[in-house]
Amino acid sequence: MTEKPATRSRTKSLRSISRRQLVKLLVSIGLMGTVGSFLSLLTSLLPGSSASLGPTDNILRYGPEKGTWYSPKAGSEVKLEDFDQVGKGAGVLWGGSIPAIIFRVDEGKLQGATANNGLIAFASACTHLCCIATWHLDRPNENVLFCRCHDGIFDPYVIVKDVMPNGAEYQGAKVIGGPPPRAAPLIPLEIKDGKVTVAPSSLDIFSYCE
Amino acid sequence: MNGSLTTRSKLHEWVDKRFLVSPLITKAQRTINFALPSTLTRQNRSRILWFTYPYYYAGAVTAFLAILQGITGLLLAFNYIPSAVGDPGAATPAYLSVQVIMKGVPLGALIRGIHQWGANLLVAALVIHAFWAFFRNPYRIGRELTWFLGVASLGLALAYSFTGYLLPWDQLGYWAATISIQIMRAIPLLGDFLAQILLGGTGLTTNTLSRIYFYHVSLLPVVALAIVGAHMLLVIIQGVSEPEEAWKTKTEKQVAPLFGQFFPQQIAPVMIIALVTLGMVILLGTFAAQVPGDPANKFLTPQFIVPEWYFLWAYGLLKWVGWLYDLAHFVPPASVYGVDLLSAKVVGILMAALMFLAVLLLPLIDRGKEVRALRRPLKTAIGVWAIGFLATLTLYALNEIVSADLSIKIDMVNSILGSIVIVLPVVAAAPFYFMLRRRLTKGVP
Repeated sequence: MTEKPATRSRTKSLRSISRRQLVKLLVSIGLMGTVGSFLSLLTSLLPGSSASLGPTDNILRYGPEKGTWYSPKAGSEVKLEDFDQVGKGAGVLWGGSIPAIIFRVDEGKLQGATANNGLIAFASACTHLCCIATWHLDRPNENVLFCRCHDGIFDPYVIVKDVMPNGAEYQGAKVIGGPPPRAAPLIPLEIKDGKVTVAPSSLDIFSYCE
Repeated sequence: MNGSLTTRSKLHEWVDKRFLVSPLITKAQRTINFALPSTLTRQNRSRILWFTYPYYYAGAVTAFLAILQGITGLLLAFNYIPSAVGDPGAATPAYLSVQVIMKGVPLGALIRGIHQWGANLLVAALVIHAFWAFFRNPYRIGRELTWFLGVASLGLALAYSFTGYLLPWDQLGYWAATISIQIMRAIPLLGDFLAQILLGGTGLTTNTLSRIYFYHVSLLPVVALAIVGAHMLLVIIQGVSEPEEAWKTKTEKQVAPLFGQFFPQQIAPVMIIALVTLGMVILLGTFAAQVPGDPANKFLTPQFIVPEWYFLWAYGLLKWVGWLYDLAHFVPPASVYGVDLLSAKVVGILMAALMFLAVLLLPLIDRGKEVRALRRPLKTAIGVWAIGFLATLTLYALNEIVSADLSIKIDMVNSILGSIVIVLPVVAAAPFYFMLRRRLTKGVP
């Protein structure tokens, strides 16, 4: 009794598919479609396009570190006259969004770049894991940018060429210790009437921590 | 008395008629009573199991603390506001709400203290539980799944504490999370995508706090319930893995436990330990609760930033790999086939990931039939080495603090601690290996 239909369907299946196969196929397609459409909802987990990343202007303002010479000036604009001796530096904010370090260099020792009126500035977010590096706060006797998180050390007196993960080429302070994978980007400065600002520059280089 | 009994039996009857539980209860009772190591109890002729085998209760303590975390967490959720809207360095609603919990809510500080210390002790108990399992080898064939689920729960506990650490939105939590996000981003190929899916961005934003909060109070509890539930179910079904000593007297036939049933006789020491743990947590929560530091400021990394103690080894590992590279004057290529693969950062991360993977897949790697730690020279030595490695890396993570406290130059501290990380674990493990091997070849039973 069961043999007859089976034989029939076997011979038939040479040319066409059985009813069972058709149902299986349709149900599978339906299931895949359902699962797929639910999975597509997962794209909502990606962040929406957020409002402007990066600095809004080219103004440098003093940063918030407590117990420093510039902490009373926190939030005010950076002035050339504040940096009256070699080595004096400050943690600053560029355009309210990119942390940086600015200080007066001994111009004779600087390799690979020139200072502007004796000042030089670097993005201070460490290229390792984006902690904020310091100047003369943790290592007061060494002329290095020092990252507090994993002991990354940059030599701001040796400027080298490097490449960001997004392919942007830039100049920056050489890594001389610790885990950072690339140089701390140099921020070009513009100084007018004693006011220190950032020269127009490619933002691609500085947004590596966003 | 009589009246209450009738009420109870009436209630029992009412439930039984509707849910048909009687046969289930009988079956569960039978299973559970053979689940604990009865031969062990009998052999030691001791009611105080935990006195002779304290590590058997690390798992029970973990379970108890997990319940406590659930209760205190629920209470905290009534007052916490998961919003990080505000200027960098200013007190956000999240930060303020934790202040309110600490100062305004009746018993709020105590509840938060218990939650905080409970988390610490839970991880500690879990680590003891895991190392016990490593050396006692209960993951032998047929029990691999229990081990996998256990390692997954360890991962869950770490995920819980990581997400919980960020919620106050203070400096320490913020920077710990920033570092973790950047670590995630450094995962070759997938990193940025993962960070965006899990955290809503490649940096730490207000979006991130919403997601982290959702994970902490909603997603992780569900996952934990499933995974830990399955882990415990397996233990109940298969029984607690008995230690090697119990085998000597093991008979073919299952014998009823000498000291009666799981409930109440065998559960009693668990209750005692749970009460002691509760006392400890309450004491610590009352007298040693941490107050959040300054509000999070994304433009200022605090000095001497350290993660929670159980993440220190990973933090030390990242520093240590950098130190090794310096020592060897190794400058890694910027990219290998277009992927950042050999920088100290990625190597550190991959090493940590490999260690976790090795632990997870242990039952597949270690298929040896011999379960006695004293008869496994290599495995025991590797275990000792791992403990030494984690401990010395933890020490290395504190290099800046050691340098500042003892006023030794940092390079000196790094050289000393860095060498210790290399040398000490090996020095500690080697004697175990050679002594156990000698013992084995001599044929000591």
